[in-house]
Amino acid sequence: MATAAPPAPPAAPQLRGVQPLRAGEGHSFFWRKLHSLTGIVPIGAFLVEHIVSNYEIVNGPLAYAKQVLFLNSLPLVRVLEWVFIFIPLAYHALYGVFIAIRGRSNVNVYPWAGNWMYLSQRITGLIAFFYIIQHLYRQRFTGVSLPEHPGAAFAKVQHELANPWMLAIYVIAMIATTWHFSYGVWLFAAKWGITPGDKARKKFGWVCGLGGAALCLMGLISIYAVVTAPPAPEDVMPEQPGITLLKPSTPPNSTNPTQPGAVR
Amino acid sequence: MPSTIKVEIKRQSNPDAPATTEKFEVPYRSGMNITSLLGEIALNPVDVSGRATTPITYDSNCLEEICGSCAMLINGKASMACSALVDKLTGPNKDQTITLAPLSKFPIVRDLAVDRSVLFENLKKVKAWVPIDGSYDLGAGPKQAPQIQEKRYPLSNCISCTICMEVCPQFNDATGFVGAATIAQAKLFNLDPSGAVLKEERLRALAGDGGIQECGFAQNCVQACPKQLPLTEAISDMGRDVFIQQVKDLFAR
Repeated sequence: MATAAPPAPPAAPQLRGVQPLRAGEGHSFFWRKLHSLTGIVPIGAFLVEHIVSNYEIVNGPLAYAKQVLFLNSLPLVRVLEWVFIFIPLAYHALYGVFIAIRGRSNVNVYPWAGNWMYLSQRITGLIAFFYIIQHLYRQRFTGVSLPEHPGAAFAKVQHELANPWMLAIYVIAMIATTWHFSYGVWLFAAKWGITPGDKARKKFGWVCGLGGAALCLMGLISIYAVVTAPPAPEDVMPEQPGITLLKPSTPPNSTNPTQPGAVR
Repeated sequence: MPSTIKVEIKRQSNPDAPATTEKFEVPYRSGMNITSLLGEIALNPVDVSGRATTPITYDSNCLEEICGSCAMLINGKASMACSALVDKLTGPNKDQTITLAPLSKFPIVRDLAVDRSVLFENLKKVKAWVPIDGSYDLGAGPKQAPQIQEKRYPLSNCISCTICMEVCPQFNDATGFVGAATIAQAKLFNLDPSGAVLKEERLRALAGDGGIQECGFAQNCVQACPKQLPLTEAISDMGRDVFIQQVKDLFAR
């Protein structure tokens, strides 16, 4: 039987400089992984949907209005909008800024491709951050409310992009956002261990690059289409005050007067 | 061929002293590397203006890029002094000044010597060892298949030089990121048939604050590694294993 306790290990002196791993402590793993995942679903999925939906603008004001009407006709659309777009987007954006400000980019010393992409992911993220704030403010929460007036969508976008500065902002933001998304997908695959091998990462790089370029091109074509289109009417689906739907009347011989219109 | 080599060295006499720069001009010999250049200065510690000074303090041991102790900033970039050849550092006309500085992310002990204990602490945190200590003879370990050996061998080449950490944009005071070397060593020992008993503990350790999630995948580590360790592959593989372990723990613990 051992009677003497083993000598206590000497207390580790407090190190200067970068601190060692806090093994198993804290919750930053969860929050960082959540940031990574929200970038793919729902935000990335929404970005693809948004750019694909916007591509309807190529087919003119009425087609675009119908697409806006369709999206706003989804069941529980306001709930979907908050739960799958606004809240994850706000989290991804704010945590992303937190990540960006804690990095110490050193491309000036080590100008390697991966290091440039690291910096580009932070810069494009910040561009998207500021762009999306103004985009939501000016297009979603102020001006003509498109959920109630889907017919005004084309004109609203057209007026916005009539300003050459705004047009430049949209073009830059389109490139930045699709860049951030496509490299983000690549990073996701690399960091979650989906593409560990060098060859796999290289091949998937092509997939992400081509996918991102296609998405960006679709967005830029949509911008070109709306800017070069003839001025659209303010609302292609106006409410028609002259037409009122007739209230169903109880027909004679009705067997169920509480259900107007139901004849048996 | 130049007759001398111009070298500029960032010096600091103790951890709290202000940094100064001293310039030297060292007689040229063919085939010199940075450690032999520093040895040359130690033989005659006189700076370019003829003022006597102290020899440069720096870590070195094996002089053949296997001990990992002589990492420093050579012309601004983290490299091993022993394998950094002077002829390749003086530019096309062989007349440029070589600059030497200590690694920038580790506390300075003196001159070019820095305290890299953080790596040792990190290796301890992830239990980067095979637990074979016992009160009796444990006998021969389990057999290791050649396929496993081939995966492990490149990772076993790590010399703990900390260059992967120095060049990493995420390894800094704000994140306290563990760095690529420790993650690669955790993979090395997880792949060991005997070391695998500590696999779950290593994976849990790497999910702590400053763990594998802080990697930004800038891939500087794998570019700069003097021993060509497959560091990004190790981070990717361990990223998956750490995540799976966290999910398992969430449901099964």
